[in-house]
Amino acid sequence: MPDLVIRNLHANITGTDTELLKGIDLQMSKGEIHAIMGPNGSGKSTLSHVLMGHPGYEVTEGEVLFEGQNLLDLAADQRSRAGLFLSFQYPFAVPGVTVANFIRMAVNAHRKGGPDGVDNPVRIPEFRKQIQEAMELLEIDKSMASRSLNDGFSGGEKKRFEILQMAMLQPKIAILDETDSGLDIDALRIVSDGINRLVGPNMGTLIITHYQRILDYVKPDQIHVLMDGRIVRSGGAELAHELETSGYADIAKEVVS
Amino acid sequence: MTAWLDERRQQAAESNEVLSVPSLSDEHWRFTSLRGIDFATYAATVDAVPGEPQGAILAEGEHAGRIVMRDGGVVLDEFSPEVAAQGVVFGSLKRLAEEHSDLVEPVLGTIVGYDEKFAAENGALWTDGLLLHVPAGVKVALPFHAAYEIATAGAAQQWRVIISLGEGAEATLVEEHLKGEPGYANGVAELVVAESAHLTYVVVQDRNNASLHFAAHRAEVAKDATLEWAACSTGSKTGKTRMETRLTGEGSTGRLSAVYVVDGKRHLDLDTTQEHDAPNAVSDLAFKGVLLDDARSVWRGVIRVAEGAHGTDAYQENRNLLLSPKARADSIPGLEIDTNDVRCTHGATAGPVDPMLRFYLMSRGIPAVEAERMIVEGFLEDALERIPDERIRTALTTAVMRRIPIF
Repeated sequence: MPDLVIRNLHANITGTDTELLKGIDLQMSKGEIHAIMGPNGSGKSTLSHVLMGHPGYEVTEGEVLFEGQNLLDLAADQRSRAGLFLSFQYPFAVPGVTVANFIRMAVNAHRKGGPDGVDNPVRIPEFRKQIQEAMELLEIDKSMASRSLNDGFSGGEKKRFEILQMAMLQPKIAILDETDSGLDIDALRIVSDGINRLVGPNMGTLIITHYQRILDYVKPDQIHVLMDGRIVRSGGAELAHELETSGYADIAKEVVS
Repeated sequence: MTAWLDERRQQAAESNEVLSVPSLSDEHWRFTSLRGIDFATYAATVDAVPGEPQGAILAEGEHAGRIVMRDGGVVLDEFSPEVAAQGVVFGSLKRLAEEHSDLVEPVLGTIVGYDEKFAAENGALWTDGLLLHVPAGVKVALPFHAAYEIATAGAAQQWRVIISLGEGAEATLVEEHLKGEPGYANGVAELVVAESAHLTYVVVQDRNNASLHFAAHRAEVAKDATLEWAACSTGSKTGKTRMETRLTGEGSTGRLSAVYVVDGKRHLDLDTTQEHDAPNAVSDLAFKGVLLDDARSVWRGVIRVAEGAHGTDAYQENRNLLLSPKARADSIPGLEIDTNDVRCTHGATAGPVDPMLRFYLMSRGIPAVEAERMIVEGFLEDALERIPDERIRTALTTAVMRRIPIF
C-alpha cells in the first residue's frame, strides 16, 4: 500500500456547512514528488491543513491512511511524530522562543515518540552540529538561531525556516504549502536545492503551488489539478506546462463539459 | 525621638484621619473593590518576630547587605563592612532614621505624600523597613536584599523603604514580599536617583493568597540617570501596587518591566505613572500577565508629559494571556500631554492562547500542554528578557512559571 492514501476526503469549516473539500482521492509514497496545482480558493491550503489536523476544519467523510494507520484519529502532534510535516504558507511567529530552542524541543518530542515514550533528548553538541549544517545548506546566517522564531522575519526568511525545520525533523511525507510564494529567484533556488537533497528513499513531498515556477527546480513525478475541492486532472510533469500556457480556465471548461 | 520624625507622623496621621477607605467611585479604584474588608481586624505589629523567612527566591548568594522584616520589626540587619567603608549606608530604617536624619529627612514623606489613604496610614504607622544610601560616585556591584514576611496570621505589617543614590552612584536592591501568613501589608518606597546614577530595583511580590498587599513605590530620576525597575507579582488576595516614576532630569531613563500570574479568585491592581517633567527623557513600560481561573488584573497607567518636556519618548504596553474563560484583565492606558514634539505610544491586549499558534507548535510534534507552556513562557519572556541580570531573570522566570499549574 502507498505510504499516504487519501480516500474520498470531504471537509468543512468547523461548525459550518461550508464544504471546502468535496471528495479528494490521492495516493503517494516516500521517494515520490507530487504537486497539487489549482487556482486560488480551490482548496489547496485546506487540504494541507486538514491533513495536518488544523482545528479550523472538520472531516465529514472519507479517510486518510498514513503507513496503514488512520491519520484522522491522531492529534496534530501525533501526526508530526508519525512522520508527516507541513511547511506553512503563513508560518506563525513564536515570540520569546528562539529558533534553536524551538527546533530542539521539536526534535526531542520526536525522539520521545508516543505518549508513553521515554525521554531521549538529543545531546546539545550533536544538535548544534546538525542545525548548523542544515542552516548552511539553506544559506541561513548562524546568528539567526538565537532569534525568536519567525518574529520579525521577512516572508522569504520564514519559508527558509520552514524548510530548516523539515530538514531537522526528517519527515516521511512533507507537504509544502506555497513554499515558493514570497521567495525571490535566489531564495527559490536555495530552498529548492534543500528540498531536492532531502527527498529520497526516506522522504516524499507533496508540493502545493499556484504557479509552476518551483516545479522547474523540483521535478514532480505527478501533478494533480485541484478545482472546487476536487482533483479534476492528474498527469505527469507535462501537465504543468500545459497549465502554464492555457491556464486553469481551459481545464475548468473541460471539467464542466 | 527627633522632632521632625514626630511631625511627619503627625502630619500623616491627620491625613489618614480625614481620608476614608477608597470606594469604586474613586477614579483610581473603579476596578478594585475594598468592600467587605474590615481593616480594623488586622493587629498592628511593632515588634519583630524571630524566625527564618521562607520562600525567598533571590536571597541566596553574596550580598552587599540584607534585611529581613517579620511582622513589625527587623530580625536580620546585615551589611558588608567593605561596602560600609565606601560611605554607603544600609540597614533598618527605624535604627538609622535618627542617626542619618540628614539622609532621611529630605526624602521621607516628600516623594510619596500623604494625600492617599494607604500612603497616609503608612506615614503615620510605619514601624520599620530599610534605608539605602549610596554616596556620589560609589558603585556597589553586589545586590542588596530585603525580605518582608507576615509571621503572625492576622497581623498588619507597615513597611517603609528609602533609597537614595548620589550622583553617578550605582546599586541594585531586590525586595521580596514573602508568602508568610495571611495578613495585611501596607508599605511605601521612596526612591531618589541623582544625576547619572543607576538604580536597579527588583520587587517580587508573593504574599499569601489570602493577604492584602498595598504598596506605593515612587521614584524621582534626575538628569541622565537610569532606573531599571522589574516587578514580579504572583501573590496576595487583593490590594493595589502603585509604581510611579517621575523623570525630573533631562535625558533620564525609566525602564519598567513586570510579569504577573494571578489565579483562583485573586485580584491584582497595578497603577503606574510615567511622568516626564524634563526634555529628552525616555520611559518604557512593559507589563505582561497570565490569568487563570476566576482571577482578575487591573493595570492603569498614565504617561504624563509636562509643558516643556520636548523630545519625550514614552512607551507603555500591557498584554495579558487569559488561560481561563472566566479570567479577566482590564488595561486602562492614559496619555496627558502638555507639550509638542513628543513620541508617546501604548498598546494593550487580553486574550487566550492563539489556537492557530498552538496548532503550529503541535504540527512540529510538540504535545498540546508542552506547546501551551512554550507559548506562555515565550509570552512572558518578552518582558523578562529586558532584565539585564541573568540570575534575577532566571529566578523570576521560575517564580512565575511555577504558579501556572497546568505546567
